[in-house]
Amino acid sequence: MKSTSLSDRCIDLFSYTVLTAMALATLLPFANVLSKSVSEEWAVVSGKVGIFPIGFQLDTMQYVITSSQFVRSFAVSAGITAVGTLLSILLTAISAYPLSKRHLPGVGAILVLYIFTMMFNGGIIPNYLLIRSLGLINSLWSLILPVMISVFNLLVIKSYFESLPEALEDSAKMDGARTFTILFRIILPLSGPVIATIALFYAVYFWNDFFNPMLYISDPSLKPLQLYLRDIVMDADSSSAITKSVDDMMNVSGEGVRAATVIASTVPIVLVYPFLQKYFIKGVLIGSVKG
Amino acid sequence: MNKKKWLVLSVAALALTSAACSSKDAGSGAQAPSGGTSAAGNANAPKPQLKSLQIWQKDDYNTYPVAKVLEERTGYKVQYDMLPQDKPQDKLNLLIASAEPYDAITTGGGSDFKALYADYAKKGALTDLTPLIDKFGPNIKASISQATFDAAKVDGKIYAIPTRTIEFGGTSLMIRTDWLEKLNLKMPTTLDEFAQVLKAFKEKDPGGNGDKNAPLTIRGDSPFVENIVGAFGMPNSWNDTGGKLTPRLLDPAYKEYVAFMTDLFKQGLLDKEFSVNKDATMKEKFTSGRAGVIPLHWADVPTVIDALKKNQPDAKYAYIPALKGKDGKMGLSVNGGFDRITFIPKASKHAEDAVKWMNAKLDKDTFKLMAIGEEGKHYTYKDGSYTPILPIFTDERNQANNFLMGVDEKNYPVYWQARVRKDPRLFEAWEYLNVKQPANTRVIDPLAFSPYLAEYSKNNQSLGTMMGEYTVKLIFGAEQISGYDAFVQKYKASGGDASYKEVNDWYATVKK
Repeated sequence: MKSTSLSDRCIDLFSYTVLTAMALATLLPFANVLSKSVSEEWAVVSGKVGIFPIGFQLDTMQYVITSSQFVRSFAVSAGITAVGTLLSILLTAISAYPLSKRHLPGVGAILVLYIFTMMFNGGIIPNYLLIRSLGLINSLWSLILPVMISVFNLLVIKSYFESLPEALEDSAKMDGARTFTILFRIILPLSGPVIATIALFYAVYFWNDFFNPMLYISDPSLKPLQLYLRDIVMDADSSSAITKSVDDMMNVSGEGVRAATVIASTVPIVLVYPFLQKYFIKGVLIGSVKG
Repeated sequence: MNKKKWLVLSVAALALTSAACSSKDAGSGAQAPSGGTSAAGNANAPKPQLKSLQIWQKDDYNTYPVAKVLEERTGYKVQYDMLPQDKPQDKLNLLIASAEPYDAITTGGGSDFKALYADYAKKGALTDLTPLIDKFGPNIKASISQATFDAAKVDGKIYAIPTRTIEFGGTSLMIRTDWLEKLNLKMPTTLDEFAQVLKAFKEKDPGGNGDKNAPLTIRGDSPFVENIVGAFGMPNSWNDTGGKLTPRLLDPAYKEYVAFMTDLFKQGLLDKEFSVNKDATMKEKFTSGRAGVIPLHWADVPTVIDALKKNQPDAKYAYIPALKGKDGKMGLSVNGGFDRITFIPKASKHAEDAVKWMNAKLDKDTFKLMAIGEEGKHYTYKDGSYTPILPIFTDERNQANNFLMGVDEKNYPVYWQARVRKDPRLFEAWEYLNVKQPANTRVIDPLAFSPYLAEYSKNNQSLGTMMGEYTVKLIFGAEQISGYDAFVQKYKASGGDASYKEVNDWYATVKK
């Protein structure tokens, strides 16, 4: 008895140490960037800023947050994330529902079509040409429409739906409910955890997406935050290159501006996590626990 | 019921795939000559709105004050889009391949973009500007010199308006003069004196850093240190040796240079960790007082000096003059060539108007207004020099350079100095390298105005990296100079020979 509790305690101790170390390892870079964004410029340039800020100031942060391009990009990203997530969840759930009904004829074949798209796609140039001929270049819809249904997410929702007892729907049917009523009034409310999880997946995807905007958006006023951020970070990186135009180098843009931009664009999505986290465990675990 | 569903589905699938295919056709079809210039030249028609694709900048072009000025002066309303900062070449290729109807596309003028530009021109994706400039471009012709145009020609035709860069020496060695004073040393003027100074910095440790002291620190990715390479007669990456242009690796002085740097490293006069230094780490070492000498671009002076003074209020600094090597060799590299180039794709619907627009931008007054603003509001003029009025100059003209499409080559170098006078330390540093140092210390890159050279463009970057890494290894002893010949063979086989031949074939035609 006692020996097991001793080994248990050892394992506990070990887990706590490892977890704490890993938590610190992921937090420290973040703390460093945060400190840089609120430290005075000279301290950043001479590499003195570690975990704690030196010479606290908020000018850099203010400069970043009030920059018109930042504000616009932020709004664009927020808009895409909100609209995209809503539409995606709706479409994914609607598509997943019939696919979860194994008794429907042809479900297997349709599922194969879906899965086919997970493995093959046209490639960048055909995609670009498709988007262009749809008239979506320089339109925010180009960032939402092509990626509205993620097949992986669809499969997750589908198997969650399958895990719900069939008797539930049968009794609803007996009470006179039609398909849509069943889906929206019974199935979806019961699927809170999985919907929340998938919503978070989609939201993070839309928030972090930079590749599609890079391809489809050239109009500066429509640039999402990640694209703006990437430009800023690249700009600071390349400013030392000899080939770069000197006129650009004279802009005061330091590590600090970079750090502040990173913080300002990461914090919002990080803030969403705690509120959705409680659904996470239930949502992702579907299928592993039977009963 | 079920069969119907299947039918609907398959029809939908068919429609989707055919849409994808036809769009592909439309894209490649549009690339073929589709009547680039708007044939209907209605003189009285209202000026069309133009679409211009620009280099990335932090602010939106459309709302930047210069855009408004240009719209008023030229009468053209322009929608500005921009390329991303990251991998702009890829996006540009995509836009050209899909025949996006831009009326003007401005890219950087470096060798990579010159290569793309020549490639597009050869494949017929660009509008030949020669007749258009003759017809609608009197200001363009008056502002841009023949030599500049010649360098921008592809197969004898002008496909782009080149924007000539401002030529200046950029980077040299910055030294802590208070360290020199402490040790009663004079500013070094030759390589030997320089090595003596470094030695004194190491042994007497004027910075009080103990074993963290680094007399000289450099970046790991640029082992050819400005000013020092000049003393070996190799200020640029290609230099004229006996009438031939030779890359540094094949230069007879290469081994001597490496021997000098290896010696510095062995004696501990060169930062032990230099091979992993990034630009930022190098500056950190200087600003925190751990390094006595670093290579520094004059544009970086204000930031670096601010940080240095905060850390060490007594610190003093100055550029080292161009060091003399044996036989009196010396020199600092001066950049040159194109800052950017502007071309009109065949897909443009208003090529003629685009040329008219660029011509209007190069009207003398409009150009000055665009470049530095209004006298009394943005700048003051006294004794032939322009001084900016701050902060309005920075707010309204800082990004003006991104609107340039060709420059008034006679006057712009003078106007431009207004930008350098934004900060006295900046001006002082620029002035030292470009005015106070004797003219013969500044050596213009001989390849600056080369036309597009296919082999050179293809290999230049990879060969440069290869040579840089090898040189770093030599300096810190991971490779021995005895392996030099074997490396040269590898270098030549990886495109070094082809580039050498191509560059010198061209050089023979310009050198008389």
